[in-house]
Amino acid sequence: MTIKIAVIQFPGANCDLDTIHVLNNVIGVEASLIWHNHFKESEFDGCVLPGGFSFGDYLRSGIIAAHSPSIDEARIMLKDGRPIIGICNGFQILTEAQFLPGALLRNESLKFICKWVNIKVENNQTAFTNKMDNGDTLAIPIAHGEGRYFTDKLKELEENNQIVFRYATEKGEITDEANPNGSMENIAGVCNLEQNCIGLMPHPERASEEILSPNKTTHGKLFFESMIEFIKRRTS
Amino acid sequence: MPKVEKDGDELEVDLTDTEINQIQDLLQRGPTITEWGMFDVMHSEHCSYKSSRPKLMLFENAEENYDYVLAGPGEDAGVIDIGDGYCLAFRIESHNHPSAIEPYHGAATGIGGIIRDVLCMGVRPIALLDPLRFGPLKGNPHSQWLFKYVVKGISDYGNCTGIPTIGGEVEFDESFESNCLVNVACIGLGTIEDFKHAPSKAFNPGDYVILMGGSTGRDGIHGVTFASRTLTEMSEADRPAVQIGDPFTKKMIIEATLEAVKTGHVRGLKDLGGGGLSCALSELTGDGGTGGNIDFSKIFTREPGMNSFEVMLSESQERMAFIVKPEGLEEVLEVFRKFEMAHAVIGRTDDSKVLKVRDGENLVVNLPAVALSDAPTIPRPEKRPDYLDELIAQKTPEPNIELDEIIYQLIASENICSKEWVYRQYDHEVGVRSVLKCGEGDSGVLRIIGTNKFVAASVGVNSKHCFLDPYQGAKGGLVEVCGNVIANGAKPMAMVNCCNFGNPEKPESFYFFSKAVEGMADFCKELRIPVVGGNVSLYNEDEVTNKLIKPTPVIMIVGIIEGKENIVTLPFKKSGNEILLIGDTKAELGGSEYHSVIYNIEGGIPPKVNEQAVKATWDFLLELYNNHIIKANHDVNKGGFIITIAEMCFKNKMGADLDLKDCNTDDLKDDELLFSESVGRFVVETSPDDIEEILKIARKYGITVKKVGVLNSNSEINVKGLKKKDIKLDLNKMKNLYDSTIPDLMEI
Repeated sequence: MTIKIAVIQFPGANCDLDTIHVLNNVIGVEASLIWHNHFKESEFDGCVLPGGFSFGDYLRSGIIAAHSPSIDEARIMLKDGRPIIGICNGFQILTEAQFLPGALLRNESLKFICKWVNIKVENNQTAFTNKMDNGDTLAIPIAHGEGRYFTDKLKELEENNQIVFRYATEKGEITDEANPNGSMENIAGVCNLEQNCIGLMPHPERASEEILSPNKTTHGKLFFESMIEFIKRRTS
Repeated sequence: MPKVEKDGDELEVDLTDTEINQIQDLLQRGPTITEWGMFDVMHSEHCSYKSSRPKLMLFENAEENYDYVLAGPGEDAGVIDIGDGYCLAFRIESHNHPSAIEPYHGAATGIGGIIRDVLCMGVRPIALLDPLRFGPLKGNPHSQWLFKYVVKGISDYGNCTGIPTIGGEVEFDESFESNCLVNVACIGLGTIEDFKHAPSKAFNPGDYVILMGGSTGRDGIHGVTFASRTLTEMSEADRPAVQIGDPFTKKMIIEATLEAVKTGHVRGLKDLGGGGLSCALSELTGDGGTGGNIDFSKIFTREPGMNSFEVMLSESQERMAFIVKPEGLEEVLEVFRKFEMAHAVIGRTDDSKVLKVRDGENLVVNLPAVALSDAPTIPRPEKRPDYLDELIAQKTPEPNIELDEIIYQLIASENICSKEWVYRQYDHEVGVRSVLKCGEGDSGVLRIIGTNKFVAASVGVNSKHCFLDPYQGAKGGLVEVCGNVIANGAKPMAMVNCCNFGNPEKPESFYFFSKAVEGMADFCKELRIPVVGGNVSLYNEDEVTNKLIKPTPVIMIVGIIEGKENIVTLPFKKSGNEILLIGDTKAELGGSEYHSVIYNIEGGIPPKVNEQAVKATWDFLLELYNNHIIKANHDVNKGGFIITIAEMCFKNKMGADLDLKDCNTDDLKDDELLFSESVGRFVVETSPDDIEEILKIARKYGITVKKVGVLNSNSEINVKGLKKKDIKLDLNKMKNLYDSTIPDLMEI
């Protein structure tokens, strides 16, 4: 069987082509760029909500895209247990659409931040982390103005193992210095209860090729390879 | 300003009496008010280059003299063929006046404008670079405000459009206090086919004219004529002439335009920038040798009741004009519908060579298309200011503080310190092309996916050097910016420039422009660098204080690196490796940071360019690169080579043991040796095993290469061999000073 992945193109998405490039040329999987109004969940095994500024992030980041018809389609996918990942703006959309808990607020510095950070893997049981080990640190860049994670259900998330990544030092220590945006408990990414949907602020598609990484790492590939693995396990 | 009048309507225009008479003679009638407004805009300095054009003729014709140049000056952007079927388009432009009044939207719409210029060559914009200039930040809330919001404007707009900002430069100088300089550059990448589909002219009668994108509103009316006047206290009242940007719509325009071009049905493409519809339509039809019939009522406006004057002159952002083949109209409109972009077919081209705009029964515009795009030039007298001799004669005072203390002060100075505060706010990685990111090299380096080629781009110039000697200073700017791309392993391919100068009507101001252009033209001819575009921003002069900006001919160079293995980076890498200084260090402290930071003087003898030596150094480096014996490279710039060495140590926490005894063959004083800003020099790292070969190759090219020291790993620079005494520099302290200057001034 051929695995088919949709990268949903909201108006204003800007990491859509980057994600397609990595899926097609680096991972070697069939991924299609799908205009948000044309998305039909039945045609795909999983989907990616890429980074960018959907609908200009007007009103509030991700809120308008969260009301796109494609999100109704994605909700069917979610219930069905197929993998969904929201990267950066995609994460903001998934929280607004309540696929994922919490919200992303303005960075503590009130400024956009573009830099390479390290994140520590806290849950390797999700659809996008099964190729990682708990405690691994991944080198990966962030680029956002509104990435400060907030939730009023912290305890619940911890108990349910829904915190997937935390910002950390290179050695994996969870410190204030390693927290680039003031996220609660250094949270960089979370998943739903069923663990088939995750969202994170850092950009795996920018960390998937040696030539783009300051230390020649390719940790971003693990996300997509895990996704493929998850789809294979589900369908076999 | 003179007034013109028609049927009881009056308009103040920036035209001279001669121009007014010429226009009336040409038309054999009195123009309508809308036509007067169009002439006013199209004859403004910004659109017509009427003062600068005679000097710009000095640049050799790039398209004729370089076979890889596909489009040169006069087009919206320069385009070069880089092989493998790809081309690069690039341009640089100023948005100084709007940014001085409203820094956030001024800078943002500057980005918007430059993106459109590149987009209308039919290629995808893939990188932005921003050379910025402000008054000193320290103790100056106005400069801090401008700096903060210009950077935020660029960040918010550029990041949203998904185009990485891969480079730039920032200079602080008192002369930019009331006239900040906000220059913006953009690079586009596409196939040569894409480019051929999108000429910026309407050469075929019977094609449809489509307006796509944002609606036409009352914002930005007369923005162009405003940019062609000096700033006065009244300029605050000009605030409505600054446009408001909408980066989301811009992003949609990029995608819709590129998809429309891919249909093959687009025959001409033009962005609406300065001068709005007047400019776009007259250039499309004028340059294409056709005419056009436009129905005013079809143009969609933001508010009801706008008259033809307002509509034709509005500079509302985010609009593109398409010339489309009749048989392809439906397919192109379908693309616009998919992206939910507002659009309208507003008319058709014809063979009348006249641009006509109808408002119902009334013909509100009826002008020969070339009349608008062929503004007459004005010869401007120039005179070298007498004060320059006095400045150049200034002597360096005797240092009254220790050399190490001077170096600490220099590394912390606003012009030398780290600009990380700026580039952290720019998304410099979107597009997954950024191989060398901000802070990792002298230039930004992008890969071209699908090839083994890399683009290196850099911008800059030293305005202090240009002030003392604009001819040599402009050449020095070219040496520096070419040096930036060469330092990363690239061959410089082409240049565009952005000339920021004062009021051309004053001979002493015009002198700087004139000499800088001569310098650039001479250098580029000699070193075989095509000039493929440029922009001129004059009138950067404060009427109230009479303050003239330092002459700033900003240069942008685009170079190509063949093969990943040939990319060279800035940081020192290995303890025990040798440090070499390439090029001659002379007693050239004029306009140096050392003079301005330590003694607060601007004068002295500025660096002079020796083209033969520059050429030999470049060829020498390219040969070393072929042999892969250079481990790190950084061009010597502000603050002199001791600062260069410190910057190369920072990233990998290296140190250096320097012995300068053999370095000082010209009997320079210690401060001249350390802080001279002589141009065309590089500091490189190499393995001890390769030294002999390097020196041998250097002899072949006849250039100076000096061993200056060895790398250590203890975060110290020890300097021996000076005339007075040895010095020791603590690199951790230097790094802290380097990193903290701007955050300390801005984060209060």
